[in-house]
Amino acid sequence: MFTKKELRLAYALAICLLVVGAICYAAFPEKAPEQPLRLMFKVAAGKVLFDHKTHFSELGYGISCGDCHHTLSEDEYADAQSCSECHDPDEGDEEQPKRAVAFHKQCGGCHEQFGSGPTEEECSKCHVR
Amino acid sequence: MVEQKKLIVSHAPFWHSGSRVTERNYHTIFAALPAVLLGFYYYGMPAVGVLCLSVATAILWELIINLVSRRPITIGDGNAALIGLLFGMLLPATMPWWAVITGTFIAIVIGKQIFGGIGSNAFNPVALAVAIMMVSWKDLFDFDSMLLNYDLEFATVYPIAAAKYFGAQGVISFNLWDLFMGRQIGGIGTTFGLGLFVGGVYLILRGFIRWEISLSFLAGVYITAFIFHLFDPIRFISPAYHLLTGYTIIGAFFLATEDSSSPVNVIPMLIYGAAGGIMTVLIRNTGAYVDGVILAILVINLIHPLLDKIRPKALGKVV
Repeated sequence: MFTKKELRLAYALAICLLVVGAICYAAFPEKAPEQPLRLMFKVAAGKVLFDHKTHFSELGYGISCGDCHHTLSEDEYADAQSCSECHDPDEGDEEQPKRAVAFHKQCGGCHEQFGSGPTEEECSKCHVR
Repeated sequence: MVEQKKLIVSHAPFWHSGSRVTERNYHTIFAALPAVLLGFYYYGMPAVGVLCLSVATAILWELIINLVSRRPITIGDGNAALIGLLFGMLLPATMPWWAVITGTFIAIVIGKQIFGGIGSNAFNPVALAVAIMMVSWKDLFDFDSMLLNYDLEFATVYPIAAAKYFGAQGVISFNLWDLFMGRQIGGIGTTFGLGLFVGGVYLILRGFIRWEISLSFLAGVYITAFIFHLFDPIRFISPAYHLLTGYTIIGAFFLATEDSSSPVNVIPMLIYGAAGGIMTVLIRNTGAYVDGVILAILVINLIHPLLDKIRPKALGKVV
């Protein structure tokens, strides 16, 4: 068995760690950075992990915000919103295509143009399940 | 008839060797600390929160079940704390608090106390809890999704998932030494291969775990992965990646070696470990789950009573 001292240690561990754990959860809630680092799109064809930082960073591909967030002028880049704000996941038309169509056109088109990254025909290079 | 001395037992008083369950549990916690500390370094205070909550609630669940079932208080032996620590180590740093508390409840109450407490559990409580959580809340164990907001100094892609989805091409950017040094994302305490390895060797040298299980588990992983890799090197990653990613090392040293759910004889131990390694790679390469370690350990836990029936040596036999 164990000694009384060891029992006291277990009580102390439980209480102290419970307090520290609660403080950590309360004081350090998960916060998304202002500019997303990576985005995970969970769709029927399989989830897609998009490395946002590598696309916009100077050390990565150095793409300008406006190249993807196409409605923004240069002084509005700080206000860039999520694509789903305009491109509805379920509905769309010629003028404002639905999210999947917009993504395939935007991502695949750019990849094809620069001869780098998966194209629209290579589904499983982006979509995984 | 030739007189043969079969068993010699000396008179009382006896001297206790000093080896106790409490000592074993706290030494195992100590051995796991290097890996935990690197997790704290990379994931910061949220990881501290997950680990602390996991250990604390594991102890509290055990205390509650002791009180409810009107049995002696057993938290002093450190086993609940160890289960809490190992469970927390397998989680992503952003695990919600309710999931940690649910997980420790499953580990302590369903995984251990229902069977009768320490030494009676048929399955490793930590593996059982993670398996139930993984099936119930699959997304919580998707490390790519859970760690989206971490900007670390290395590739923030879960290597074993990349290997499953993209084959050898998916892990091409990972350097083996970096993986061994913990420069990969994953569970809080599962990525630092060197730390876990050193902790495991310490436990082996102190006699707390058996080398037969750990070594045969790693050998099982390596050989099976090697055969797969030989068969299709583009689709299946090289065996070294299997050893250094996912839950492999923590599984080999800290999960598969759990005392009451693993065999006690040498040959059964070797078969037990090797079967775990083989199952791990089979699940990874051909199954639906990204990592097979947890499910493989549950499978070998299931077969361990049968394995122990293989040529058991009579207790006290001299010749």
